[in-house]
Amino acid sequence: MTTDSEANTMDDASRAPGATDVGTSAATGSVDGNGARPSDGETLVRVQDLVKHFPIRGGLLGVSKLGAVRAVDGVSFDVRRGETLGLVGESGCGKTTLGKVILRLIPATSGEVYIKDRAMFKQSGNQMKAIREDMQVVFQDPYASLNPRMTVGEIVGEGPLVHGLSNRKKREALVRELLGRVGLNQSHIHRYPHEFSGGQRQRIGIARALALNPEFVVCDEPVSALDVSIQSQVLNLLDDLQKELGLTYLFIAHNLAVVEHISDRVGVMYLGKIVELADVDTLYRDPRHPYTVALLSAVPETDPRRRRKRLVLRGDVPSPVNPPSGCRFHTRCWLREQLGNPENCVTEEPPLRVLAPGQQAACHWAEKISPEAIQSAADRQPTVATAEPAPAA
Amino acid sequence: MTNAVDAGDVGLLELRDLKTHFFTQDGTVRAVDGVTFEIRDGQTLGVVGESGCGKSITAMSVLRLIERPGRIIGGEVLLRGKNVLNYSDQEMRDVRGNQISMIFQEPMTSLNPVYTCGDQIAEAVELHEAISRREAWGRAIEMLAQVGIPEPARRAKQYPHQMSGGMRQRVMIAMALSTNPELLIADEPTTALDVTIQAQILELMKALRERNKMAIMLITHDLGVVAEMADEVVVMYSGKVFERADALTIFEQPHNPYTRGLLASIPRLGDKRERLEVIRGVVPNPLNLPTGCLFKRRCPYAMPVCDTPPPVRQVKAGHISRCWLTPESEPPSIGADAPPEVAEAAAQELTVAGR
Repeated sequence: MTTDSEANTMDDASRAPGATDVGTSAATGSVDGNGARPSDGETLVRVQDLVKHFPIRGGLLGVSKLGAVRAVDGVSFDVRRGETLGLVGESGCGKTTLGKVILRLIPATSGEVYIKDRAMFKQSGNQMKAIREDMQVVFQDPYASLNPRMTVGEIVGEGPLVHGLSNRKKREALVRELLGRVGLNQSHIHRYPHEFSGGQRQRIGIARALALNPEFVVCDEPVSALDVSIQSQVLNLLDDLQKELGLTYLFIAHNLAVVEHISDRVGVMYLGKIVELADVDTLYRDPRHPYTVALLSAVPETDPRRRRKRLVLRGDVPSPVNPPSGCRFHTRCWLREQLGNPENCVTEEPPLRVLAPGQQAACHWAEKISPEAIQSAADRQPTVATAEPAPAA
Repeated sequence: MTNAVDAGDVGLLELRDLKTHFFTQDGTVRAVDGVTFEIRDGQTLGVVGESGCGKSITAMSVLRLIERPGRIIGGEVLLRGKNVLNYSDQEMRDVRGNQISMIFQEPMTSLNPVYTCGDQIAEAVELHEAISRREAWGRAIEMLAQVGIPEPARRAKQYPHQMSGGMRQRVMIAMALSTNPELLIADEPTTALDVTIQAQILELMKALRERNKMAIMLITHDLGVVAEMADEVVVMYSGKVFERADALTIFEQPHNPYTRGLLASIPRLGDKRERLEVIRGVVPNPLNLPTGCLFKRRCPYAMPVCDTPPPVRQVKAGHISRCWLTPESEPPSIGADAPPEVAEAAAQELTVAGR
């Protein structure tokens, strides 16, 4: 389970959490600490140079290491108390893995996560148990994430039981209160998950996450399995709970409109890296990474009058086993093409750099992005975009 | 139904009061219950609704792909004025893939994993045209090139698992279009794909629609995709058409409270609302539908009269709505002011225990 790289990075991560040298690895981006907004809260969770590689094994006994899926490949950011940090990206970009590693549901390859200045990966099992009260998770699939053999009361009450609330009466009272809080009928405490609709099951999942009174909740695609008319109910609920309980969310999703609605800041992931991180309005109004531009352009407008020529990326996301050199987006980048394929995109990995207060992007040529550039790129594409970029000449 | 129309203005496809019910052990599910609409040549019709509203079953009924315990129990499906429900199995086979093709949501499960992509397209071509294997193979490669797959000759020899989701959907589209159909039924064609790949596929469908002059019946729950693609929109709810109009009208002047609620509840890019409006409650249990209007328990305008099935009203030419609200009485805006407790309380009442 422990890989060799994990061992030698442990001392690397032993730096004090608040130390100033957090951004040592320029290529992996630095922590946002430039006071983007006046209301900046203190840092609740700090993710530092986080790496998660899944080894690919093979050979005769299945022990030789053939390579690794570089699911998360050097990610750093802060989550501030009381905010919602959105994390968007396409499937396979590593956003879910990142969420799991942050919660220490799977071990990291290297890097560190600090919650309230405690280095999480160095905690013993018992210490970790205490920390887990502070951080909980809401999963995507409300059908698969609830045990069908347990009643709602058992599901929601399990966490408190494990964490020492052994008095059954008190536990039941707590569960009832939680059910009320998430908008479920308290008398449903003895029902089983299959008796509920998808939206209601997701409310059960939220109640379970709240049972230990956490400060930090990772929401991994919490509404994407729900019907549209139910999505808004759950989004509003998450919003209300955040206000009432002062929760901090890491909101992982692929739906850009949902992320815009719920987030204060947004990080965009591509192939295991954060390519842009900015305040929500800045990111959506003035994106500074060509991938963010393309993502936003790809979202269908819910207004038939505004049908427009969009910027369509060619090809698929490359394999995370063998990501492209330099900038990982260079194989699909419209901006690079427009600039006449500059060399450094292929040779040099762009660091996540500050472009404006509250906005960071990892692009060598971020300053070249303008509405005109985007328009001209959209206009120049062929009518039938091919599935893959033409092989490099 | 009584007076047949002249061949001259026979539309491409017309559904008249189509009813497809499923006779399950627990009772009858009226999945499609009196659906009427038409698609003209070259038109793109969007069919939207939440899961379980009957939009996919409508499409399957058009191709007569309903399996037991489901049965088409009434209505007509007129293809160029002829009711396909009366066709023999052989005639029906000629319609499928020839006049009407279909693409599905999940390209992995709808392609055969043990044949190469080229084989599967060539097979479709051979079934519908009297041409040699070699010609069919050539056509397969040509189709792959048309849908934007690079190196089509090499890709034709590959198996579905060797391709990404977006590529597989392109293969599905290539197969569907290989026989040059007049109508393409696309059932959630981009739902399983990432947004950038979805954009590629939508652009591709637009380009091919222009080139082949085909009509598209686009089934989706994504209002953005509909706004992007459709000329006309049908909104379905619990097996019935609740509203039908051209796309602009649906998005700008919807009449039906369900359509309004649906539009108000989705977050959009650039949307500055603090709270989303919600449609309270959940879709009714198909085994236990309310009497009268099927939407009444969730409707902010519900009135006593809603206990009686609502009429299908003509709001204006080409715009119909199934609702008691009269077109003149502009309904007030939906519930930003409706207290959440009320909505939640209503949701509780609607708890429907499955099975």
